[in-house]
Amino acid sequence: MPGPDFLPQEVKPLALSELQDRIQEGVESACPGKLWVQAEIASVSTKANGHCYLDLVEHDGATVLARAKAVIWSSRYRLLRPYLLEALGGELQAGMQILSRVQVSYSGIYSLTLVIDEIEPRFTLGAAELERRRTLEKLEKEGLLDAQQALALPDLPYALAVISARTAAGYGDFVRHLEGNAYGFAFGVELFEATMQGEAAPQSIADALQRVETSDKPFDAVLILRGGGSAGDLSCFDDYGLCFAIATCPLPVFTAIGHERDHHIADRVALRAVKTPTALADEFIEAFAAEDEHLLAMLSQLRLSALSRLSAEEQRVRGLEERIAASNPRNVLERGYSLVTDGKGVVLKRAEGISEGDEIEVLFRDGRLKCLVKTKI
Amino acid sequence: MKKFDYLEALSRLEQIAAKVEDPATGLPEIEGYLKESSELVEACRKYLRSLREGWEKAEESL
Repeated sequence: MPGPDFLPQEVKPLALSELQDRIQEGVESACPGKLWVQAEIASVSTKANGHCYLDLVEHDGATVLARAKAVIWSSRYRLLRPYLLEALGGELQAGMQILSRVQVSYSGIYSLTLVIDEIEPRFTLGAAELERRRTLEKLEKEGLLDAQQALALPDLPYALAVISARTAAGYGDFVRHLEGNAYGFAFGVELFEATMQGEAAPQSIADALQRVETSDKPFDAVLILRGGGSAGDLSCFDDYGLCFAIATCPLPVFTAIGHERDHHIADRVALRAVKTPTALADEFIEAFAAEDEHLLAMLSQLRLSALSRLSAEEQRVRGLEERIAASNPRNVLERGYSLVTDGKGVVLKRAEGISEGDEIEVLFRDGRLKCLVKTKI
Repeated sequence: MKKFDYLEALSRLEQIAAKVEDPATGLPEIEGYLKESSELVEACRKYLRSLREGWEKAEESL
């Protein structure tokens, strides 16, 4: 191909396709077979035709060292996907570290593409666990792992800020269980919506926590609810940023994320973690039930004390009544005796002081006699 | 009408008992004290019954 007149004779420009052919040859000679490559997934999407496209990156801290496009053709992805779902507990997703077997391909139109035909899930799981341990160590160094434990939960937590997705089954279960409690206790529940899975979840939940903290309403506790899911769906609850937000939240944070076998760093840094949203509702109901029982016991004790006091008072009145009745001098008349009184009605018990000629009165059961003392013996 | 005072009534009953027990108290006075004590005892009983009924009602309403 002859060059333009203004170029020196010896300079022969290449057509783009010729350049790319050379690059292709170079790439194919440098990477003749399949290679195992470690990288992080920056983004992943599956197209309607079933091909899975990924952006792979390598970081050194915040600096991107390398980036490449990759694809898993649909014919291979149909087989690989169920295997990875089972092994990883979820779909491939951004942020995941993968070890993949690739064939490096270069085309003039599509540039450099890594064609993936195998992914080793053990590497991804190991990388996730490693990252998890790093996050735990970092939180521990910062003194945040048990920061929530220093917060005091009110004895009767009433105002509850719930962070969840409005349509999440776990949130529905929680509200139904709480509001339908057999005792009829009332709670003030307010939902702060957030994305509860995937790449956007950590920031979304942290933002919701911020909204709770800055709300005008004073909340007694924050509840993060996520009613189960695959390990992949729930991996966002190991995110450092989210765990930091939970640990530094000035309100007590409760988590109910996933089922029994799931335990996340978010659970570790929260004041308390329970297995399911329903179990969390039970925690609050039981707190009120215990207080109610305590009140009833106190009331019963009070009732017994009051009744005992009342009986004592009744006995006191009866005692006074009997004492007064027993002291009535007229009782002797009922027994057949008589009473002698002076002119004022005072009972005379001795002859001393009575003189001949004095008037006295003798009382019988059936009448009385006025008498004159004739002789004092 | 003066409001019934249970403690005051009890105090008066104590005084009456002492008067009735006193040999210097004449029978006509004792008659008066007995009448007064009957009225006071009845009022005290009525008051204590009303307390018991009130507590029972309060308990039923729980």
